[in-house]
Amino acid sequence: MTTLIKSPVGRASARPGGRRPLTHLQRDALAGYLFVAPQVLGIAAFVLVPLALVIYFSFHEWNVLANTFTFVGVANFERFLADPQVAPVMRTTGIFSVALVFFNISLALLLAVMLNRSLAGITFFRTLFFSPVVVSLVAWTIVWGFLFQDNGGVNGALELVGVDGPNWLREGPTAMVAVVIVQVFKNVGLNMVLFLAALQGVPQELQEAARMDGAGPRTIFTRIVMPLISPTILLTFIITIVGSLQVFAQIAVLTQGGPGISTTVLVYYLFQQAFLFGEFGYGSVLSLVLFLIVLVLTVVQWQLRKKWVFYEN
Amino acid sequence: MRSAKMLTAVGLLAGTSLLLAGCASSTPAAEPKNVELRMTVWTANEDQLALFDDIADQYIAEHPEVKSITFEPLPFEDYTTTLTTQVAGGKAPDLAWILENAALDFVDSGALAPIQDTLEKTDGYEFDDLSDAATALWQKDGELIAYPFSTSPFVMFANDDLLRAAGQPTAAELQAAGKWNWEGISEVGAAVNAATGKAGFVVRDFDYTSWDNLASVWMGWGAEPWGDDGASCEFDSPEMVDAFTFLHEAAFDKKSMPGPGTTADFFAGESAFTVTQISRASVLPDSGFAWDLLPLPEGPEGEYSMVGQAGIGVMATGKNAPVAADFLAFFSNPENSKKLAQWFPPARTSQLSTETLAAANPVLSADQIENVVIPGIETGVVRPGHTDSAKVGQTVRAALDAIWTPDADIEESLIGVCDAVEPLLGK
Amino acid sequence: MRTDSAIETRPAETLGQGASAPDPHTVAGRAAILKKNSDRSRTGRRVLFYLALAVMSIPFVMPTWWMIISSLKPISEIFASPPTLWPANPTFDGYVKAFEMQPFAQQYFNSLYISVLVTAGTMLIASLAGYAFARIRFPGQNALFMVVLVGLLIPSEVTIVPLFQIFNTMGLINTHWPILLVSTFGAPSVLATFIMRQFFLSLPIELEEAARLDGLGRLQIWWRIAMPLAGSALAAVAIFTFLHIWNLYLEPTVYLQSPELFTLPQALTRYTDAYGGQLWNVQLAAATMTALPVLVVFVLAQKQFVEGLAQSGLKG
Repeated sequence: MTTLIKSPVGRASARPGGRRPLTHLQRDALAGYLFVAPQVLGIAAFVLVPLALVIYFSFHEWNVLANTFTFVGVANFERFLADPQVAPVMRTTGIFSVALVFFNISLALLLAVMLNRSLAGITFFRTLFFSPVVVSLVAWTIVWGFLFQDNGGVNGALELVGVDGPNWLREGPTAMVAVVIVQVFKNVGLNMVLFLAALQGVPQELQEAARMDGAGPRTIFTRIVMPLISPTILLTFIITIVGSLQVFAQIAVLTQGGPGISTTVLVYYLFQQAFLFGEFGYGSVLSLVLFLIVLVLTVVQWQLRKKWVFYEN
Repeated sequence: MRSAKMLTAVGLLAGTSLLLAGCASSTPAAEPKNVELRMTVWTANEDQLALFDDIADQYIAEHPEVKSITFEPLPFEDYTTTLTTQVAGGKAPDLAWILENAALDFVDSGALAPIQDTLEKTDGYEFDDLSDAATALWQKDGELIAYPFSTSPFVMFANDDLLRAAGQPTAAELQAAGKWNWEGISEVGAAVNAATGKAGFVVRDFDYTSWDNLASVWMGWGAEPWGDDGASCEFDSPEMVDAFTFLHEAAFDKKSMPGPGTTADFFAGESAFTVTQISRASVLPDSGFAWDLLPLPEGPEGEYSMVGQAGIGVMATGKNAPVAADFLAFFSNPENSKKLAQWFPPARTSQLSTETLAAANPVLSADQIENVVIPGIETGVVRPGHTDSAKVGQTVRAALDAIWTPDADIEESLIGVCDAVEPLLGK
Repeated sequence: MRTDSAIETRPAETLGQGASAPDPHTVAGRAAILKKNSDRSRTGRRVLFYLALAVMSIPFVMPTWWMIISSLKPISEIFASPPTLWPANPTFDGYVKAFEMQPFAQQYFNSLYISVLVTAGTMLIASLAGYAFARIRFPGQNALFMVVLVGLLIPSEVTIVPLFQIFNTMGLINTHWPILLVSTFGAPSVLATFIMRQFFLSLPIELEEAARLDGLGRLQIWWRIAMPLAGSALAAVAIFTFLHIWNLYLEPTVYLQSPELFTLPQALTRYTDAYGGQLWNVQLAAATMTALPVLVVFVLAQKQFVEGLAQSGLKG
């Protein structure tokens, strides 16, 4: 194994009248390139090349069935700017992502704090809350579709406490609520486990010391625990927000973007245009827009991390 | 600096792969040899696939140039999507099942190679046996583009046990009393709902989204979604307004049809009537209640019938299109058509006999086949399709959602549908 | 691992529920109150705590429960309303048919070997790349890291058509190669690289510096010093990757065409009757068989997994 790294040095110094042997730094840099090569080359081949093709497609009108592929310049981009559905779709996407991230993170945090103790049966409950993560997404969504029917389980439960539930999936605002609920319960377990892990990494001594100084549980949580787990919160934040922009199978199964277009988020709109309507050119433009949004959001969060995050090595 | 190099490399790779993709699809077909055929289907049923394999084996035995024929099941829900992705990726199958609602897209676009010549020239094919009604949807300029391998009539199933439990007449009694019409069904349905809490009638697979299934209702009002040329929207026609008024009342006032967001499965005994394709009869023996099968009820415009279809096409981009067409001729010849009839009601007039169909549908009585199934296939009209079906379908669905609230203004909403869909129809 | 005894003595209502408890000002005072409190009220609090957990778990458990019991029902009973909580006549029909209708065992094996291979490959590639991005200085490092991060940001719908074309020109459609290659080297592995980088960033550098003085090369340092400490981060990477690949749906649907090559999520949707109607009991039986083993593994491994993560660098 070691020859991998040492051989360049050997070769360089063995060259007759050769150049100087690689310095320590150069050798290190070479190792760095070799270490990252599989990942970087993989990204180049399976992400950048396809991305370049998507950019290329976005300047073309591509009718798959008729087998025509014509250069149309920026027509697809102009269409995007003129598309009356873009504004509502963007608004829906924003509402969906914000709601999803907010509820996912707060519920995950609440569960993690509740389950961060060694009581009998705590493992059992951790497993219960985690279980949706391993259930097939399609099965999960279909079941919830039944529960959210007008005469379904959710309204049945509401009736028990005297509430006349709405026709969840058929009314604009509640359809969005339902989609968010289904998605939150499906994935919150993963974030919960991440937070649990982070909480267990919080030194007990610090909390003890704070308690000695007379801090209440709430103060301890906001002043000591939260800052210490803030890096985890940031990471889950990024993962969750990026994930929220990629949710589409659930919407396809639950609402098909309706009623009207009230649950049509950007990735579902993209899927519709490209795969259902066969508009790969326009779909490519939407792909690029989606990509740009995710990119900007991530960069902004990454920049903000110094403000949010208590410490970083 | 590095990233600039990288970009160049990316560009080169991208160009090459497109070039290769282009080359692959334009390779000219020389003498066919070692041909491997692929047909995409949406059934994963083992018995059906076994029969297909059987037919394929016979064909291969007689045609040494064909090395293999594989049937590739794609999931039904995203069948057309997956097929389109394969075509887009340059990996089109040689033959493909085509869903009825995508028929016009495939037939009109030139994606399919014409097959009429091949079928007509095949010995013993009896091309003229194919019924005109069955082939109408699959023609372009008078030439057959795809073969309609399944023509399945829409019928009304009734749960006689549930009707009796609600103190209502059975389906046969209703028909004998001259009340086999939509008003009568809705009355009885409302009574069933009031008495038992179960649903009255259900238009299967509609679910307030797949609106084209409502054609099985509005045809009774003589309504059409668009004109014959497909260019003018007819959703706001008086016939359509009346038909939707009937449906809206059934859903929200009489409660004879489950409202939006509520489902009731007829085959689980949850509704008194359901409109669906005859093929669903096969699950009835398991349902455990007394049932009956009747033609669609009369509408204000009298009797009518509707069929659902599925076709098989030869993809034009395939290298082996001629061989594929020849195999299709074998696959659908009189002998094999008879075998396929046990699942897929055939397009051949000579096989529309009680005898053939009874063998294929053991749960149906000879009476039911003679009085419901055969007339249904012979006179059935295909629901109106349109090119750009997915986009038109989605646009209409989104606009129609306005109707499915208790206080909707039906006429206003239907005008809204036309406003939304008209820009697409003219194309 | 630290014991949780300190947490245990804390009242259950740590987060926002503390209104009922007197708020003592000193630890001593607090301890006194706790001691004075009778065992009964402590038990009462425990019961309340469990009750709250039980109620909260309903929306998490119900759908899975429905899936499992519905898989034991005949198809006509599955959608009966009101739904039955237990099948009237439990039947294993669905389970038997799941194996009869498709090469389900083969598909199970496909999913398993693909998930394991990709997980192992990802762990290797991501720990190498993550280590280099965290520890080694080389020109263009930040630019390359940004390039890699792009993979994290691209929904698979965006690149699936071009990828399909690329693999088609390579003749790799209807093989497992596209899934293995793209998942191991492409976008799905980026999260793993990111996690590994964050972990190695948090590792004390002194250990490595000592090793370097001893003349160890980078590969040796990575393998002998860094990796043995990275068990927890690797565990996180393993479970993320495994779950992701185990549940992969879009890619297999697009790349694979023969039933004997299918993976499980893809196979689940293929249980249909002659007319494309879903055979729900068979489908749910297959879905249950897909989910249960993963659930069992989580039950067995969750302590190690959670505690492992605790020490790892899931620190932004």
